[in-house]
Amino acid sequence: MRITGTSARTTVSRRAMMKTVGLGAAALAAPGLVAGCSSSGGRTTIVFEETKPEVVPYFNNLVAKFNASQDSVTVTHDFSSSLIAEFVRGNPPAIDCDNYNLTTSIFVARGVLADLAGLPQSKLIDPNIQALVSQYASFKGETSVLPYSVAAEGVIYNADLFDKVGVSDVPTTWSEFLQVCEKFKSAGITPIYQTYGDTWTTQQGLFDYTVGGMVDVAGFYKELNAAGTNLGASSSVSFEKVFTEPCQKMLSLAPYFNANPIAKHYADGNLAFASGQAGMYMQGPWAVGEILTLKPKLKMGTFPMPLTDNAADTKCRVNLDLAIWLPRSQPQAQRDAAVKFLDYLMQPSIVNGYNQANLAFSPLKNAPPQTSPIVTGLQKYVSSGAFYQGAGTYVPITIPVGNYIQEMMLTGNVHSFTSTMDDSFKRLAIRTSA
Amino acid sequence: MSATSAPSGRGSANPLGTLKRLFFPVAPTYLLMVIPAILLFTFFIMYPAVNGMFYSLTNYVGYGAWKFIGLANYQAAFHDSTVVDSYGFTLLFSVVATIVVNVTAMLLALALNARIKWQTGFRTLFFMPMVISGLVISYVFTFIISNSIPIIAGEIHFTPFTSSLLANQNWAWLGVVFVASWQAIPGALIIFLAGLVAIPTEVYEAASIDGASAWTQFWRMTFPLLFPFFIINSVLTFKNFLNVYDIVVGLTNGGPGTATQSVAMTIYNGFFNGDYGYQMANAVIFFIVTVVLAVVQLGILRRRGGVI
Repeated sequence: MRITGTSARTTVSRRAMMKTVGLGAAALAAPGLVAGCSSSGGRTTIVFEETKPEVVPYFNNLVAKFNASQDSVTVTHDFSSSLIAEFVRGNPPAIDCDNYNLTTSIFVARGVLADLAGLPQSKLIDPNIQALVSQYASFKGETSVLPYSVAAEGVIYNADLFDKVGVSDVPTTWSEFLQVCEKFKSAGITPIYQTYGDTWTTQQGLFDYTVGGMVDVAGFYKELNAAGTNLGASSSVSFEKVFTEPCQKMLSLAPYFNANPIAKHYADGNLAFASGQAGMYMQGPWAVGEILTLKPKLKMGTFPMPLTDNAADTKCRVNLDLAIWLPRSQPQAQRDAAVKFLDYLMQPSIVNGYNQANLAFSPLKNAPPQTSPIVTGLQKYVSSGAFYQGAGTYVPITIPVGNYIQEMMLTGNVHSFTSTMDDSFKRLAIRTSA
Repeated sequence: MSATSAPSGRGSANPLGTLKRLFFPVAPTYLLMVIPAILLFTFFIMYPAVNGMFYSLTNYVGYGAWKFIGLANYQAAFHDSTVVDSYGFTLLFSVVATIVVNVTAMLLALALNARIKWQTGFRTLFFMPMVISGLVISYVFTFIISNSIPIIAGEIHFTPFTSSLLANQNWAWLGVVFVASWQAIPGALIIFLAGLVAIPTEVYEAASIDGASAWTQFWRMTFPLLFPFFIINSVLTFKNFLNVYDIVVGLTNGGPGTATQSVAMTIYNGFFNGDYGYQMANAVIFFIVTVVLAVVQLGILRRRGGVI
């Protein structure tokens, strides 16, 4: 090969070509590096993430109103990104409003959320409802999450069928509840509709209601986690010791269920209840929308399931359907803009308006009552703090509690269920409290 | 511009040439071709794998505070029924599916190699499942198995199939085997056809002159000559089936319950359940299991007379 001017020229032009390509790539990449936190003409743009599908249009509306009402912050509504992936990339949204459950409580536990105790809005929240946050996780006593919407669930009943079989008041004790079931049974109508085919329906309905009405759920899990690897016969609490009686009560209701519940799924249950085949249905406000689509004129009400013969023991199941948080590490400009949007969202008129429109309950102290007749039966329990978060919701996803409950309902074996739960939590403790 | 093209006779006297041969025993041209691949492989495969192995010794969830917990994840994985059951399902599924795919592909290859009408057309038809995405295949088959077949079975009163196979806790895995095999057969088929085409026709002529029956021809001549391809196919399909993910997610999403949850699915879900470190331990165990199985399988097959 001739090492002459030709190859020398080729080498130089190749180098020059590389240089141009490199510079060009850098020029194209530069705008991308500052994406996500931009301010154009004085307006800071922040990302507001809210992924509950049913209320995306509602929040789109709120965001548009906010953007139009002032000129320092532009909010973009992200309704589809994965929060975990965003945290791993170090790129969480500036402000988030989503369901608060055990999985999202991991953000709290790992300390990646900002402490909101300094915000004036944190003082507006009902302390009983704020306490729901730390029942799953807390980080050094900080206020990591502000509740925005509380969903309450109980036993949905068909008001017309109640009149038909002669039930004038909702049951407030266990004996009254059994009497209502008997009245339906003698009238030839299924008292309670169960859909074992979808394990979550049995877990969040029959299981959570029965356990919650008889057990201090938050206290139980606190002691369970404290027992850690010592969980078993010698620890102060265990599933065997505390859940055996509620599970037996669950099985005792089996004669009042529909035939072949294992073949029925959520959609079948909604259809059956909507068409008047059952008097009662253990579901939440999310099912109400589905039922009303099937039968818009259906008159429904909800009452919390009583499990003892003392009406004062009755509590209703709740969950934090929406809660607001900010990430701990964000640039000051983003933080200020996010707080501005939070101020807007947490105005009582906006919070209360959202909850009123969506069959939910406002977390603010002295909030106006929910007026929808479908859920008013739960109002006094929510206002007085007589509620709990479902026992099934404290179980990490790695333990398929829904499947275990389904198996227990099919086999009737309570001991197998409780010992499996104890073993699973003990094994979990080995790797989480190491 | 390469050291190997330096004019002969100047080699040892040229210090540059000696240096080049010392630091670049391989010609730079080859290095230039290989280095990008090595870099990509290291960055996209080695680095995440080593990263994952490191985090398997911690309780890291991908962000936030974490701490070392030593081998606690591994300890827990061995006793976790979800993990153990997923290995059981994956191994059973892989073995059965490998057998189904190899036997069917072999038979199909023999059929498609024979002198039949529209040979090219049939070959195209049988290759088509390979070009469709796994998710698309599984969604279509979910509909067929859960809706169409029960309706047809109801019409002709054939009761075993009136409820969806995929909703049956004990037999849903057969549905997964069927769909996964359906997709994997064309791949094995191509390799077997290539092997068959390579067998010279004189061999068959000689056999038929000697009066060998069709079965003897196959078992004593075709199959041994195809054995290397059989090794390739069985090792590759087994390894691919061990990693099954998209078919399972599309067909049953691990259901009913966790009956058809594969190991890959369990590991992947761990990321979203705050169990990243734990599932990385599972992944390391899975890696070791896969390597051991591949080595054992290759060893057995080689000893039986392959030339691979």
